[in-house]
Amino acid sequence: MPTTQERNAREVFTSAARVWLQENVPARWRENRGSLSEKETDEIRHEWDRQLHRGGFAGLSLPKEFGGQGLSMVEEVIFHDLAAQAQAPDGLARIGRILTAPSLIGHGTDEQLARFLPKILNGDEIWCQGFSEPNAGSDLAGVSCRAVKVDGGYLISGRKTWTSFAKMAHRCLLLAQTDPSAPRHKNLTMFLLDMKQPGVNISPIKQASGLTHFAEVQFDDVFVSDADRVSTEGSGWKVAMTTLMNERGGVEATSRYVEIRSDMDLLLATLGDRPDLRKQLDELDIRVELVHWQVSKAVDLELDSPDFFRATSILKLLWSELWQETSILGLENMTPETSDHWRLQYLETRASSIYSGSNEIQRNIISERVLGLPR
Amino acid sequence: MTLLTTRPGEIGLLAAGAIRSALVKATDQANISSYIEGQSPLAWSDISDAGWDLVGVTEDDESATLRDLVEIAKAWGEITVQLPLLTTIMAKRHSARAAEHDGPVTFSIPTQALAAGTGMVPFGHIAHMHMVADFTSDTSSLVAVQSLTSDIFAPSLRAAHSSHITTFTAEAAREISVVWAAEGSGIAKRAVADAVTYAKQRMQFGKPIGSFQAVKHHLSNAHMDAEQAETAAVWGSLDPTNAHRSAVYSLDLSIRAVELAIQVHGGIGFTWEMGLHFYLRHLITLREMVTGLGDHA
Ligand SMILES: Cc1cc2nc3c(=O)[nH]c(=O)nc-3n(C[C@H](O)[C@H](O)[C@H](O)COP(=O)(O)OP(=O)(O)OC[C@H]3O[C@@H](n4cnc5c(N)ncnc54)[C@H](O)[C@@H]3O)c2cc1C
Repeated sequence: MPTTQERNAREVFTSAARVWLQENVPARWRENRGSLSEKETDEIRHEWDRQLHRGGFAGLSLPKEFGGQGLSMVEEVIFHDLAAQAQAPDGLARIGRILTAPSLIGHGTDEQLARFLPKILNGDEIWCQGFSEPNAGSDLAGVSCRAVKVDGGYLISGRKTWTSFAKMAHRCLLLAQTDPSAPRHKNLTMFLLDMKQPGVNISPIKQASGLTHFAEVQFDDVFVSDADRVSTEGSGWKVAMTTLMNERGGVEATSRYVEIRSDMDLLLATLGDRPDLRKQLDELDIRVELVHWQVSKAVDLELDSPDFFRATSILKLLWSELWQETSILGLENMTPETSDHWRLQYLETRASSIYSGSNEIQRNIISERVLGLPR
Repeated sequence: MTLLTTRPGEIGLLAAGAIRSALVKATDQANISSYIEGQSPLAWSDISDAGWDLVGVTEDDESATLRDLVEIAKAWGEITVQLPLLTTIMAKRHSARAAEHDGPVTFSIPTQALAAGTGMVPFGHIAHMHMVADFTSDTSSLVAVQSLTSDIFAPSLRAAHSSHITTFTAEAAREISVVWAAEGSGIAKRAVADAVTYAKQRMQFGKPIGSFQAVKHHLSNAHMDAEQAETAAVWGSLDPTNAHRSAVYSLDLSIRAVELAIQVHGGIGFTWEMGLHFYLRHLITLREMVTGLGDHA
């Protein structure tokens, strides 16, 4: 149970956040979200990163010395809950904030933290995640992008794919193979690669929804210095596991909750008076709130405990499938006003059961690591 | 109850076979994304010269049955091209004025996604399209489609919005619904076949992904959906009182089958180029229109 002091502090935080959100969520986003162009959307999202930073709400659970707020997951949950109510956008710094930052906190040097975290949190640097390759998707350990040791660093050659944010990213959290002769899981290393240099060739890939949020990235002898290697050579798989835990974890889920809540609110606003849909809407609404409560429950558990993993391992499945279902209900019952939104959202959410590790892989993980079933 | 066969008649099998081979020849196994936004790989004249657009019209008391049309529509769905064959067959079957018209014909259907007074016109975006104004009248002429806007959601349907709405007979509405459901089941069957092929080839963890039980189950479920989607269309073709609801349900199943096919493809299934989304867009629009026909059927 939180102490009285903690409770008071949380109340202060909550009212400050509520007021700030009310004053800062761009009206253009709140009112025209469905009809904004891709460019306008990106601009609003990028500016949102900067707004969060100016307002003192960037990196709530990240350390103060690196530009975070030094608070806990509890404040992350509170803030995202309020952000959902205020229909706030989602910043472009999400990969840096949700993936790079905790990976560096877990495995990086103080120097790396000092160099990268502040720029992630103030919105100056956008990151992308260079994990998947044409032949290494679910089987991530099979990455074959090569990092060859040279004086002072490494030369990267190979191909990454489905890289979200690649075209606007300044940096890439890149998983590459350093030792082809080493056994699986021991042959990889994680790098913090500068995307704005010769040899990085980005070819955008058009998605099923018509948007172009991901890309194929070809690296031809791209230099990355020793200082931008995370942890030791050969530890890449371990670092990647930290990244993936966060990608499928609580902060990611709370940020998805904001988006799903906003879709749910649209469903309720437009279909709430349909008696034939009452039961379905009610059930979806409950499930949206349960995502939030599942995270709230998890944040009160000991990090690294089996209970924590039990609680968080289901999050990605919960939100991804729920989001698909809210979109399906929207699509099946769209009106002239909502049809553009639901057509796009339906196609977009087809991907949610594929990215961040497919739902089949996540179910394998639960069955083997939580339930202990034989492999 | 009289014993009836669920099999199509000779004309249905013949037409479906001929249309399927014409489509196979024209597309040469090409992925749908390579042609669906450009020119149709099959010319309209290839269809109309053979008279397939009139296959549903009754002549000398002989005509294709709705069950025959289901067979044809399913073959048509297996290889989707951007031509108005099914709307033309159905327009000519149910409107004498359409049957006399030398060229493709369509109709305009109100849907829940459109403002009142606006109809969705499949293939209305093609030049010189005509549509049936009124299926209940033998004398009312066809109208040239004047589209308000084109609806780009499903490129394969070349749809447009029109302020003119077709009046349907209950029979026409019902039969059109069933034929579109059958087309949808062909699409589903094709998507499942493509996903099965992919699952045999794509290697992860040193094995074809089709060897993982999760993938096998997805594909079995998708197969069930596609199979039942066809059965629902066949049922609808033989049982008018259940035709409309079985058609809507059939399209629901086909949509689910394609969703699963995408899932099995992983990241590549979510690309524009892999083209599975074109099937989904087509099916969703068909379902919108069939739902819209519900007031008449
Ligand atoms: C919109 C989107 C954005 C993305 N953004 C990024 C990004 O920014 N950075 C990045 O690195 N990656 C990104 N990805 C890639 C994503 O992580 C991969 O698509 C995902 O891991 C699946 O890999 P794959 O596409 O190679 O599919 P495959 O691994 O080929 O899987 C195909 C199918 O087989 C199933 N399967 C595979 N192995 C098993 C198994 N052992 N048991 C059961 N089923 C199995 C899968 O679940 C899937 O259904 C993104 C993907 C999408 C769709």
